[in-house]
Amino acid sequence: MSMLTPYRVLDLTTERGLLCGQLLGDMGADVVKVEPPGGSSARSIGPFYNDMPHPDRSLYWWAYNRNKRGITLDIEREEGRELLRRLVERTDFLIESFNPGYLAERGLGFDELSRINPALIYVSITPFGQDGPKASYADSDLIILAAGGPLVLAGDEDRPPVRLSIPQAYLHASADAAVGALAAHHERVRSSLGQQVDVSAVQSVAIATQSYILAAPLGSAEARRMSGGVKFGGLDIPLVWPAKDGYIAMTFLFGTALGVFTRKLMHYLCENGFCDEATRDKDWIAYGEMLFNGSEPLSEFERIKSLVADFTRVHTKAELLQLAVERGFLMTPVSTVAEVVESPQLASRDYFQTVEHPELGASIRYPGPFAKFSATPIQYRRRAPTVGEHNREVYRDEIMLSDREFAELAQKRII
Amino acid sequence: MPDHLRDESLPLSDVKILDFMWVMAGPASTRMLADYGATVVRIESPTRIDTARTLQPYHNGQLGPDSSGLFANCNAGKLGIALDLGNPAARTVVHDLVRWADVVTESFSPKAMRNWGFDYENLRKIKPDLIMLSTCLMGQTGPLAKIAGFGNMAAAISGFHNLTGWPDRAPAGLFGAYTDYIAPRFSAMSILAALEYRRRTGEGQYIDHSQGECAIHFLGPAILDYTANGRVDGRHGNADAVFAPHGVYPAASDDCWVAIVCRDDEDWRRLCTAMKQETLAHDSRYASTAGRREHREALDAAISDWSRTLDAGDVQSILQSHGVPAHQVQNSSEAYRDPQFAHRGHFIALEHPTLGKFTVEGPRAKLSRTPAKVRRAAPTLGQDNQYVLETLLGYGEERITELAAAGVLG
Repeated sequence: MSMLTPYRVLDLTTERGLLCGQLLGDMGADVVKVEPPGGSSARSIGPFYNDMPHPDRSLYWWAYNRNKRGITLDIEREEGRELLRRLVERTDFLIESFNPGYLAERGLGFDELSRINPALIYVSITPFGQDGPKASYADSDLIILAAGGPLVLAGDEDRPPVRLSIPQAYLHASADAAVGALAAHHERVRSSLGQQVDVSAVQSVAIATQSYILAAPLGSAEARRMSGGVKFGGLDIPLVWPAKDGYIAMTFLFGTALGVFTRKLMHYLCENGFCDEATRDKDWIAYGEMLFNGSEPLSEFERIKSLVADFTRVHTKAELLQLAVERGFLMTPVSTVAEVVESPQLASRDYFQTVEHPELGASIRYPGPFAKFSATPIQYRRRAPTVGEHNREVYRDEIMLSDREFAELAQKRII
Repeated sequence: MPDHLRDESLPLSDVKILDFMWVMAGPASTRMLADYGATVVRIESPTRIDTARTLQPYHNGQLGPDSSGLFANCNAGKLGIALDLGNPAARTVVHDLVRWADVVTESFSPKAMRNWGFDYENLRKIKPDLIMLSTCLMGQTGPLAKIAGFGNMAAAISGFHNLTGWPDRAPAGLFGAYTDYIAPRFSAMSILAALEYRRRTGEGQYIDHSQGECAIHFLGPAILDYTANGRVDGRHGNADAVFAPHGVYPAASDDCWVAIVCRDDEDWRRLCTAMKQETLAHDSRYASTAGRREHREALDAAISDWSRTLDAGDVQSILQSHGVPAHQVQNSSEAYRDPQFAHRGHFIALEHPTLGKFTVEGPRAKLSRTPAKVRRAAPTLGQDNQYVLETLLGYGEERITELAAAGVLG
């Protein structure tokens, strides 16, 4: 038995919000993914297994529908809606990501469904939230990142702001939604009542500004994009540095908390002939303040950055990582996807999990449990469902449709 | 919580958390739980300052012990006690707090808690059904377990930086400590699920949370593209695998930008109509998504020629009124004025004990019947020493004076 084993989740999400149900499924819930007949639109999102586009081969689908069963159901027709209501009677959480009002127009809004099942927790994941002047705005990952604040902070200063090449917005929103759903559940144990959990992806991604979204109300300067680093006034602080065989990320900062790391690094550089003692002995705690008040010229900071880069550039990523571990320097390699999958650290923790895809005769390695629970370890019980894979199991065995009813609904393409 | 902050209507009003976490990833997770009503007692060192207290942005642009917006944002709604964990006299106080708590959380490098004797094996002896969560960059075990650092480093080694930026350039990197933005939700949901399990079984447990490992799920399709297809994905600028056009375009003012996306041919026709560019609409090169992707540079130039003549906000409203996904690329000032953020109550002005009005971000997932609340500003160092020791632990005045004299409190 796992943490959420007794609970049933109906997952009506479109291509946005799929992660939320998977997280509840990883923690043990029985998650039933509900798709329109023919399959979810998310199944058309690549890349595809062996680069062959097919609804059951979308790697995007695979990545976010593990630990779910799958049924098809046409909620555009009343017979489909009636079936959904029957499922809702025996459901603890419903997750959806339609535009605000879409389900309500079909008689499947929170108010209607909570009348059928007052304990239902109804999780809605949308771009801008259920209400407000932009609630019906058209969206995509890039639009949400633009509205929510992180986009303006990322990129090279001589080019437009740039996003991470893998869409992120609905993953942030899905994770917030899972927390909200479980908080609502905790309360339901006392009150026996459900409620709606309303998540705005724009608000969710605002966390990726590292609180810089508060600069204006706090009366602080805006930060500007600077190639993974940060730019304050005339001060450019890079976070990505060159290595012999690629790049590293390094925190090269000052002040009471971070200056001590910089001091340690500068001592090492001096020992190894990359800088003189006078440079080594600068006040790295106060250094940021000195640059701001002009007692240290910016040209001197440029010289320091260039000698630090001279040091990083002659070492491989692996050598620099080893130094970081041994000496407590704040640096790690900028790893490729291949290096992540082959990582000795992740291997030593048995992170990647092999999931069988018997219909393809394939075993695929997946990112492993998001945390290690001592009493209730996360288990990958099943790969993402193929289209309608569990129709019979759910409709026949659980809501007890007769053979005839089942065949009739299938024939009408309700399921 | 002090009486005026207690609120039984909040969903987690019965949950008690002893929080040893610091910087961002950890404290941001217990901030979520505090919003939903948990009583969070946060321990800070009186001598080793929480790094978050030194980080920008600052209240009135001035660095001070309580002026960090990051610290304020991650710790609103919590109680604060300053306790020197290295002092042997702190031990009984910690043990009493563990007995009081349902959940203990910590985010030090592995070993720190063991060195103090506050690791799970020791603490469960005094509280058998304890739930304890440790979160750190790479997890509690393995060759990199003890690596010190921040979320930018975990993001880089977990594949994020290499996938951000332009294909013809070095990684542009993500802003700041990216895994610190992902991890808090995973910690918070782990705690809530473990509480549910304890409710049913009476059993607590230990949760080893690696910020890198949970974050890798945000690269899921790219990871599978490698494990299933052997492909190592790279940086694509703002190009999308499906949509075109898909980019960030210049607006009239200097360094102002607007994101524009066409999800399908219908969006493309609407975009042409909105730009009053009927010739583009009939250009056969752009008739399909594949064509628009192939001729991306010419297309982006044409869109830029139009967007550059307008304010970013105007591009946004014109395109949205035609149903085309578009939004100005907002900085803090623009977000603070944004009517949608305002409608959602995203910015919340709190009263800070020393700094006056202090704005933080509001709770995220909105619960319709029992909404979250941000009950107070982040604590100053040791602000709640007296309340925690006297009211939560029931210590007498004499005991508290003794602790102060022993130099345990800050």
